[in-house]
Amino acid sequence: MTIASSAQQGAGTPFSRRLSRRRLVGVLAAVAAAGTAIVISHHDGGPPATPVPHADAAIAGTPVTVGTDVCGSGWTGGRAGPQTFAVWNNSIEGLEVYVQDVATGKVYLDVENLGATVTRSASVTLAPGTYRFSCLPGDADPVVGPVEKVTGSYAGAVTPGLVPITDNDLAPTLVVYQTWIRSRLPVLAAQVRALDADVRAGDLAAAKGAWLRAHLTYETLGAAYDAFGDDDAAINAMPTAGIPAAGDKNLAGFHRIEGLLWSGAPAARIAPVTRALIGAVVHLRKDLAVPHMNTIDIGLRSHEILENALQLELTGASDAGSHTNLATIGANLVGTLEAMKPIRTLLQRSDPDLAETDRWLARSQRLIRSFDHHGRWTSLSRLTRAQHERIDATLSQTVELLSQVAVITDPRRAADQ
Amino acid sequence: MTGECPVGAGRISRRGLLSGALGAAVAAPVAVALRSGAAEADAPQTTPEESSYPFEGRYQAGILTPVQRSAAYLSLDATAANRRELQDALRALTSSARFLTTGGAPPDDGLLATAYDSGVLGPDVPADGLTVTASVGASLFDDRFGLRAQKPARLRQMDEFPNDTLDRSVCDGDLLLQVCAQHPDTVTHAVRELMRQTRGALTIRWRQDGFTSPPRPSGTPRNLMGFKDGTANPPTADASLMRQLIWTEPGGVEPAWVEGGSYHVVRLIRMLVEFWDRVSVREQQTMFGRDRVTGAPLTGTNEFDEPDFGHDGTGDVIHFDAHIRLANPRTTATDDQRILRRAFNYDTGTDSNGNLDMGLIFTCFNADLDRQFVTIQKRLADEPLVDYIVPFGGGYYFALPGVQGKTDWLGRGMFA
Repeated sequence: MTIASSAQQGAGTPFSRRLSRRRLVGVLAAVAAAGTAIVISHHDGGPPATPVPHADAAIAGTPVTVGTDVCGSGWTGGRAGPQTFAVWNNSIEGLEVYVQDVATGKVYLDVENLGATVTRSASVTLAPGTYRFSCLPGDADPVVGPVEKVTGSYAGAVTPGLVPITDNDLAPTLVVYQTWIRSRLPVLAAQVRALDADVRAGDLAAAKGAWLRAHLTYETLGAAYDAFGDDDAAINAMPTAGIPAAGDKNLAGFHRIEGLLWSGAPAARIAPVTRALIGAVVHLRKDLAVPHMNTIDIGLRSHEILENALQLELTGASDAGSHTNLATIGANLVGTLEAMKPIRTLLQRSDPDLAETDRWLARSQRLIRSFDHHGRWTSLSRLTRAQHERIDATLSQTVELLSQVAVITDPRRAADQ
Repeated sequence: MTGECPVGAGRISRRGLLSGALGAAVAAPVAVALRSGAAEADAPQTTPEESSYPFEGRYQAGILTPVQRSAAYLSLDATAANRRELQDALRALTSSARFLTTGGAPPDDGLLATAYDSGVLGPDVPADGLTVTASVGASLFDDRFGLRAQKPARLRQMDEFPNDTLDRSVCDGDLLLQVCAQHPDTVTHAVRELMRQTRGALTIRWRQDGFTSPPRPSGTPRNLMGFKDGTANPPTADASLMRQLIWTEPGGVEPAWVEGGSYHVVRLIRMLVEFWDRVSVREQQTMFGRDRVTGAPLTGTNEFDEPDFGHDGTGDVIHFDAHIRLANPRTTATDDQRILRRAFNYDTGTDSNGNLDMGLIFTCFNADLDRQFVTIQKRLADEPLVDYIVPFGGGYYFALPGVQGKTDWLGRGMFA
């Protein structure tokens, strides 16, 4: 769902994922290298530079040198329990640095985006075992460090490890998920045509039902946070606070139609908007016909759909008159489960709370469905305080658990790639 | 809803909170109790900075504890689906409060979850004099959690007194968290962490933030009417007096589990400060019965002089309807009605007419709600001060007994 006109076009895909959520080792590396070059040229013509690269001794922890030639030098294992490293990148590239269990491949510490020449403090609590540092430059092969033993025992909680989930792991899931989205687009297209037909026939009571069916289909597709870019702006842009949706000429798509239908506007005023919606859905199908997602997106979508629902639906911000926010949340829950389906095998391997996440999703679904009275949905304003609190709490707990899905499926490189 | 899922159990158990492993994982700084019983009982002061209060004890911290600078009051409704989920939530509150009031490095979830801690207080969470005081409201003792028979005898929906204008949406609630610390960021941080750990089981019904002023220039901090507030508190170091006035006696009408707890009254009182500022200081002093500059009773010279009602039998100096004379007549008969006040100022925003919305989060603890707070409040009905204040919210709560030992948790006794 697009908030006003916040869409910004990114490069690489038809859509504009917020770049801040992407892992940008490669880009950072380029920036860091350029920075170094500038520093060097600065010394041209002056007294001979005596660059003695060294770690920043003020940074807390056991000094550990990482880079493109060495990785983990300075670390010799030690006792089980909490360890803090002052990780110094002695190279001219940005790095990602792992502390990895040699036997299981699990990563216990991931120092991301460690810029050239930077020293950063990082902590981890290790159980006894054999570990090594792995250094992953943005655009070069990984370098693995020597294997070191961690000995003794530790009674406290140790840092949980994760076998990195890689682009290779995620790529097939993207195919599955995008295939599912594409399979829903003919349904959506038929439903918006039916809506348009009802409006043209002047049967506005039927049009309301058609609107809800079409809108709910769209709300399962995971368009949260600009996932569909400008297409979402044309199909499902948010009403502007304080401006009635019906009269907002800058507003297109479902919520404009909703405002018109539920404010009693004549069919002739609505028809151009429903016709435009048909066109917008056609355009979406065209854009979605090609791969449009990055590997990071699928995990993000698993929690962002419901984040969006909490922010825009549960507050009523998206309501342009139909008072069907709870129905929308129900569709968003379906969309969340669909986004999780392809990554379920990966989650079964890596997410210790998957079963609980599923229980909370099911609980959320049961709760939301209890407000569906044969197609007539309780409006937010008719909820008792206790009902509203229960929905708030249930969805919020669910999305807390879903945030783990995004973190765990954040694509990482395998150290032996 | 059948509610088969343990509330927040994944986050909690995986992080070792339930098992108490968190304490082991964290290099806990030594908790040094500073002035936990006010040494100079008749000169209440704010806590020294950088202190911490022991989390465990017979009584919860935040009751006899000297007032900190910052506070948040959170009234919570329980959305837990059943008794077990409520218990889980109280365990999670206990674990989280234990960590936050002790301080240290938050647990590390590695690559499996978002950060355990918001980072608002930096990598090493300082205790900063934080206390988290948990109390229960009457509505918790309905049929949802099987607690009906365990309700403290005096607990009920807050009374509406003759001069009140209560907005019931900011009254009562299943639980109350009184979160106090030396700095507002510590309070804000604690509120965020506590709510995150109990996301599915507790939701915020209403919230009011407050602060305590430093002594200006000395003695008891002032309220926003410009008067010292809390001068006449009973000495908290007097353990036998505290047993008489503050700690509720189990047995008789009260269930056994209340041992170590106290009735916790919170009243949100708007002060009509623009109006108040248009009243002469003489008239203000007459309403309170105290000197605005020194805080001394009008029969005395210094703040902590006892009001001399005996030699003022005609009410010429301290009027019969002055606040301090009605609130505490200082007679043998009213001696056991005294309460422990622990108020905070609030300063929130503005009214629709541009007037400032500020006032007092009146807070008191007492052993017997009816014998003490309610009796006093009834005596205060129609005092002259009522024209300048609007009590609009708050509630009656029961501060739970303290957590004793690593396996104990807040409210455990209610479920016995």
